[in-house]
Amino acid sequence: MEKRAAARAARFAFFAASLLLLTACVTREPFIPANLPAGAHRQVELAATPFFPQKKYQCGPAALAAVLGASDVGVTADELVPVVYLPARHGSLQVEMQAAPRKFGRLAYPLSRNLESVIAELNAGRPVLVLHNYGLPSWPRWHYAVVIGYDSASDEFILRSGKKRRTEWRARTFMVAWHNGGRWAMVVLRPGEIPASADPTLYLDAAAEFERTAKPEDSRLAFDAAIRRWPDQPVAWIGRGTAEYRAGRFANAARDYGAAVRLDPENAGARNNLAQSLLDLGCPAHAREQLAALKIDTLASPLREAVLDTHRHIDAAMSTSPVVDASKCSPQP
Amino acid sequence: MFAPLAHHSEVFVKFVVGIVCVALINMGMAGAASAAIVDTAALVTSDRAADMGVVRTQLDRADVRAKMTEMGIDATAVDSRLASLSDRELHKLAVDMQNAPAGGDVVWIIGAVFIVLIILELTGVIDIFKKT
Repeated sequence: MEKRAAARAARFAFFAASLLLLTACVTREPFIPANLPAGAHRQVELAATPFFPQKKYQCGPAALAAVLGASDVGVTADELVPVVYLPARHGSLQVEMQAAPRKFGRLAYPLSRNLESVIAELNAGRPVLVLHNYGLPSWPRWHYAVVIGYDSASDEFILRSGKKRRTEWRARTFMVAWHNGGRWAMVVLRPGEIPASADPTLYLDAAAEFERTAKPEDSRLAFDAAIRRWPDQPVAWIGRGTAEYRAGRFANAARDYGAAVRLDPENAGARNNLAQSLLDLGCPAHAREQLAALKIDTLASPLREAVLDTHRHIDAAMSTSPVVDASKCSPQP
Repeated sequence: MFAPLAHHSEVFVKFVVGIVCVALINMGMAGAASAAIVDTAALVTSDRAADMGVVRTQLDRADVRAKMTEMGIDATAVDSRLASLSDRELHKLAVDMQNAPAGGDVVWIIGAVFIVLIILELTGVIDIFKKT
């Protein structure tokens, strides 16, 4: 009974609102035209984005299945329930939404918190998963939806949301919900794809977290793309080096770690990994040179332990095996 | 009556000692292999200042595991979910799993509050995007 009364009150509010919307729509400035990146289309709709109508509280799995599907991962919302749904919270957490794509060999990239990034991704053909707040900042009610397009002329966004396959949202309404939700948005990337709006720190953080569970070949693609985009970022070289190392290609690993050390001579992790690669190539003396440049006492744990460990391995190798072929000990860039 | 039992328990102790030895040796090998190179995640700029202790990560993991089970996820799913989280993400969850935004449903009564907010915004009574 109470529920029905609430629904009636809500419906009344909705009609009142609709009337007001009609009278009010001319008074505010549009959002989309002011946030179109250079060269962006005036109108985009990624109509091929799959749709999964959400079940109770399960907009997280539904929205995630849609963006994964757009990235050629065939997974249903139901299959994602055990992956991201948290029964006691009646919802899904951002951290897990961001971690889940890794299970399917994809990276999740959290967008910079501006409308331009969202529009840039749509132009690059990627639907954007957003977090909305339909309550108040102090009384939040959270919801995930997928932006699949926009129309600059009518200043509207097109969404897949809840049980609606296609719903149009006035940009200002969208912005209120997105802004009050902390302006959080993410896209799903295939290994090797770089977001249209990519920020090096955000991308390399995402790639580093991808690395832990990814196949070395996928991880190599992700960092290789980063090197091409930002050749002066040491972390990009370290990441590709680690992928090469894990694939057993120690010479390639030493080449990449070497590049990172040249860009950032203070980078203890890069030097440690370079030393380890040189050791695996049969060059303990060259490996020791790399570690000699480090002030081990100043390093934080667990990096310090890793360096000390590498040291021990080098010492052991020095006492047993002489260098066989010194030519491979100085990898060329 | 106790004699055969004592004999059995001796065998059992030997068996357990054997298993523990094998486990310890395996642990040692895993440790050495993973210590060889440092993960990129431990080296990204934003983390370099923070001391990402191994101990803290283990505590976080135990903490998140307990909370997830308590929040209604079955044991097998918990393991799989923990596996895809990085140390940093584990820490975020350990700290804030109870209160972090959880996207779920939109019910009518909440929609009504939102509509009021939108009316105020569209009519210009409030402007949350105003540049100060």
